Amino acid sequence: MNAMQSKVIRWFSAATAVAILAGCSSGGAPTVVNPITEAPPVNNYIGPAAANADVQAFRLNLWDNIKANNRCGSCHGAGGQTPMFARNDDVNLAYQAANTIVNLTQPDQSRMVAKVAGGHNCWLQSPSACGDTLTVWIRNWAGSSATGGTQIQLQAPVIREVGGSKSFPASSALFAESSLYELVRTATTANCVRCHSSNSAVQQQPFFAEGPLAPATPTEEAIETAYAAIKSKINLDNPATSRLVLRLRDEFHNCWGNAGCGINADTMQAAVQEFADLIPISNVPPGLLISKGLTLYDGTVAAGGNRYEAATIAKYEFKTGMGGIAYDTSGHEPALSLTLSGDVTWVGGWGINIKAGGKAQGSASASKKLADLIKSTGEFTIEAWVNNANVAQEDAYIVSYSAGTDFRNATLAQQMYQYEGYTRSDRTNGNGTPPLQTRAADMDAQAALQHVVMTFSPVEGRRIYVNGMYTGDADARGGGSLADWDDTFALVLGNETSSDRQWEGVMRMVAIHNRALTPTQILQNFDAGVGEKYFMLFNVSHLLPEVPQAYIMLEATQLDSYGLQFTKPTFISLAPNVTVPNVPIAGLRIGVNGGELRAGQAYVPLNTAVTAANYTAGAGQELSRVGTVAAIDKNIVEDVFFLSFERIGALSHDPDDPPEPTLPPPADLEPESDVGLRTFDEINATLSQITRVPMINARVRDTYTLVKQALPSIEKFGAFGPAQQTALAQLAMQYCNVMVDDNGLRASFFGSLDGSGTGAAVFGTSASPNTANRNLLITALMTKAVGAGMDDQVTEAQIRAELLTGFYDPAHLPPDPQAEEYFTPGLVNRLVDGPTGNNAAGGRTVMKAACGAVLGSGATLIQ
Amino acid sequence: MNTPKVSTVKSVGLAILLASVAVAASASDRDQAKRIYDRIAGVPPSEATLDEMTALVAAERPLDAALIAVEAPSFYNVTLKNMAVPWTNRDQTVFAPLNDYVATFIGMVRDNVNFTTALSADLTYTVSGVTPAASATSNAHYEAAEANAVNLFEALTPGLQSSIQGIPADATAGFITSRAASEAFFVDGTNRAMFRFTLMNHLCRDMEQVLDTSLPPDRIRQDVSRSPGGDSRIFLNNCIGCHSGMDPFAQAFAHYDFDNGSAEAPGTMRLVYNAAVVHPKYFNNDTNFPPGYITTNADWENRWRVGQNSLLGWGATPGSGTGAKSMGAELANSDAFAQCQVEKVFKTVCFRAPGAIADPTQVTADRDKVRELVTNFKANGYRLKQVFAETAVHCMGEE
Repeated sequence: MNAMQSKVIRWFSAATAVAILAGCSSGGAPTVVNPITEAPPVNNYIGPAAANADVQAFRLNLWDNIKANNRCGSCHGAGGQTPMFARNDDVNLAYQAANTIVNLTQPDQSRMVAKVAGGHNCWLQSPSACGDTLTVWIRNWAGSSATGGTQIQLQAPVIREVGGSKSFPASSALFAESSLYELVRTATTANCVRCHSSNSAVQQQPFFAEGPLAPATPTEEAIETAYAAIKSKINLDNPATSRLVLRLRDEFHNCWGNAGCGINADTMQAAVQEFADLIPISNVPPGLLISKGLTLYDGTVAAGGNRYEAATIAKYEFKTGMGGIAYDTSGHEPALSLTLSGDVTWVGGWGINIKAGGKAQGSASASKKLADLIKSTGEFTIEAWVNNANVAQEDAYIVSYSAGTDFRNATLAQQMYQYEGYTRSDRTNGNGTPPLQTRAADMDAQAALQHVVMTFSPVEGRRIYVNGMYTGDADARGGGSLADWDDTFALVLGNETSSDRQWEGVMRMVAIHNRALTPTQILQNFDAGVGEKYFMLFNVSHLLPEVPQAYIMLEATQLDSYGLQFTKPTFISLAPNVTVPNVPIAGLRIGVNGGELRAGQAYVPLNTAVTAANYTAGAGQELSRVGTVAAIDKNIVEDVFFLSFERIGALSHDPDDPPEPTLPPPADLEPESDVGLRTFDEINATLSQITRVPMINARVRDTYTLVKQALPSIEKFGAFGPAQQTALAQLAMQYCNVMVDDNGLRASFFGSLDGSGTGAAVFGTSASPNTANRNLLITALMTKAVGAGMDDQVTEAQIRAELLTGFYDPAHLPPDPQAEEYFTPGLVNRLVDGPTGNNAAGGRTVMKAACGAVLGSGATLIQ
Repeated sequence: MNTPKVSTVKSVGLAILLASVAVAASASDRDQAKRIYDRIAGVPPSEATLDEMTALVAAERPLDAALIAVEAPSFYNVTLKNMAVPWTNRDQTVFAPLNDYVATFIGMVRDNVNFTTALSADLTYTVSGVTPAASATSNAHYEAAEANAVNLFEALTPGLQSSIQGIPADATAGFITSRAASEAFFVDGTNRAMFRFTLMNHLCRDMEQVLDTSLPPDRIRQDVSRSPGGDSRIFLNNCIGCHSGMDPFAQAFAHYDFDNGSAEAPGTMRLVYNAAVVHPKYFNNDTNFPPGYITTNADWENRWRVGQNSLLGWGATPGSGTGAKSMGAELANSDAFAQCQVEKVFKTVCFRAPGAIADPTQVTADRDKVRELVTNFKANGYRLKQVFAETAVHCMGEE
């Protein structure tokens, strides 16, 4: 039985077992056993020696890795299927066979890689991981002959007509009411909700069945989550090819009941169809000047720059896009693959999104290779392409090789705007502290996609590089020895092994090298970028009959799960020896699936012309260097993009005028008082004006400085508080103090009322008041501080009551029998009947008190 | 509480003030005259002044009464100063020192300078008789004036900002290039703060209110991540809405910086203008999105002349240009600018926003009055003093 047969049988058995399990009430997804990543031993090679150095390189770098019985050697060994590139009897013959299926110049373009990455008997769960690993082995074999950066051969894409397709509506309302949403949430008819919901015990992303079991009503949030997740699993234009349907029909994934997966698939397809039927077909508006359509994957793959990976010992590119394992595709055995746990989701365009509670961790045994290989060189590099979720997170461990918060070999962490590097050496402690931190003011860490590298060398110690540039932060501890590294620790991404140093964000790639990369090598890896890049050639020949095979080319890369990045629109003809005439181009817009993008139209202002002088054969003419982002509509595979033009060549199209903006009706405002408080400076100026005490008088200035910020800063009544009243009273009293103490000012304010003598002598007692002096007091205050003849101002009677005659509580006015209990005598009487009455300076004290009471009241405060 | 007399409010005591109340006061001529004066000058009038104004109010000439109040020194020393101080610092606090920005504002009101030049003029007011003299490197001149309670109404003297700041005349832009604004908004950062705060202070709008996601993002600089935290939806639904308009405006400030130095090396603490180079702050974090816009000069463009922000009512200025002066003029010649100045005066004098009145039948009339004030402001040469007087009459209370 060959590997293929055994695999099919294993799958079939698994599917049967799953089907049986699914019938049970417990449900749930089958447990996938982690694949064995270390090849079982093969009998020692006893064939002829390698004929030359290249065969030896083949042997060491590729053949040794693939000849095992659970890898290519299972079928492509001696006497097996051709080509027998994994034969164990003669490495020279294997070399000859391998040469027919590898491309040493561009290893990733090898037939062997394409075959395995396409799903042909990968020994891992993820064909792309096998493909990447094979690529590394072939590249190592090829050595310097592999460049990967050869001239791109642009290929004319297939012609797709634009429009006539369906797009998901922005609102989830249709989906919320659909039978599809109900179906995936019904445990008895579909198993989806058992796993693909955050309510499930096993929580399997994507949560397209988010929400309670039907028919319970889901929350808005649950609907949005489910709708966002299910879009990429549905093909609106061809429901039969929806992932939801194929998963049941072809992959027997957790079918339900006893009807069989085919019937289940039909049920699912009918539900998808019903939902799709509710959505109208979107068509391009007539008259628009549009290019032919193109999907991202119709574009020509850009080979990208070479990464420096001679010392890579672990590498994660997160290409799998599904499942719970991030594969180590460094090609360095044993593979240190990581298990995703908690809230970790795959990101379109390769990557994982780690949220609260999530991490990706390898086993301690598989991580051992890091300690072994790094201790052997005494230096290392941690390299990561990350997009920090925010710049507020602290103690957020991005990559850590450690055993909890107290023990580590090395950690790269984010501390708000800073990156931190910890390394255990003989110059630091067992927890790698003190860490190297980037300068806070530099704000090196951003919530944007960044290439972050920490190197360690015995001489320089730690250095941190961000986006290819050394941050300039020197390691005060210097280098040292890594001999004390502990090989029982585990590699973990996005957290600490103890799960209490959460980092949140998107991780696009992580690599660990057992050399300190040089600045040049780091820059090389930064320049190589991350993710796939395509050249999308939008055919405009039908708009430009004068230029054969005319295209507008855009560089495109998937930025994240939600958007494509387009850059450098370039006019190019693929026809040889073409002579380009003058071609005006203006008002370029990007469209998808029959409609122009609502946001991100960076090329609308474009108004340029292609000219023979600026056009370069083979490279075209760049129309703009800027890039933009286009929102993914349905999903990255099916979205058909196109370009529209206001002007191209001889043709022009005036875009529809946008609707005339209208002023929104003014908001209804809460009524506000039309009287208010005097503010701090106004109070100060008012008191100064009333008392004639200059504001620069030292005593009042000191008091003002003291209470200034406690006085009202705005006029609104609602903002008035007790502290402000206290401050006002202090300031008013100080002004009155200074004024009464100054003979000239006092005379100016109170006239003939001098006030010298005891309180009783000047103002009498309550039983025997000095009415003349009391009248002088009241009159002065009324005239100078309150003002007469106004309805809105305090009356003289009210001032008299407050200062002289006393007043009742408004809630207990006579004839209330309790009125007398709530009677407050006038201020002057309270003073003269007390110690002030006999105090030698009591008369002026009473004047100050009366002045302070009036100036510190609403009479001056309110305007 | 419905409509008690203000006198009652005052006599009942201050505790009552703790409640937020809507009070519509009635008033006699004298009360109206006093309120006009109080609101404009911030202090009560003298008996003689009040008598004079009362007579004018009684003669149905309240505007003439108000025009007396706008000549009160405390209108300049207190009301205008405290109105402008919050514009000149990031915390928007009124408890900040007097500075050249505020002094220039006060002087422009006093001298009836056309206010559309506020964001473009080569103009700074200094305080005569105060030492030290005004300087590009220090605010001490204005702080000394404030500490000595110098009467700004008399002592403010107009001068050339270019001379004081030591920058070319064509690099001056009124309040924008004042020392105080430079220190607050050109310091560090990316110079976008200057645009945002100018918009807030003089068009009465923060960025959220001018958000328009439909505009082209081609002028958004490299430092704005197109996938913040790994989610490009945030960019397409939020970031783009402000940056698509703001970045092409703020390019006008490409040659400016405030030199505050660093912890290791103190700066000159002055506005620095270098027409030869784009300041490096325009390239902060340029690897966040390398294909973003790269600033090469101070060419600005008003992208808000189309779309929903065309409602800001742009004037006859060209809509694009080079440098802060022409950009400031673009902003200051908009309807929104004129409207904003009137609304600020309205709130200063009436203590409320237009339309925020208790009587629902008067809301429309209140808003119509503001429109009328704006029309008058434009028609009368953008003189703010007149706006104060007219607004105070509107809010002087009922007979």
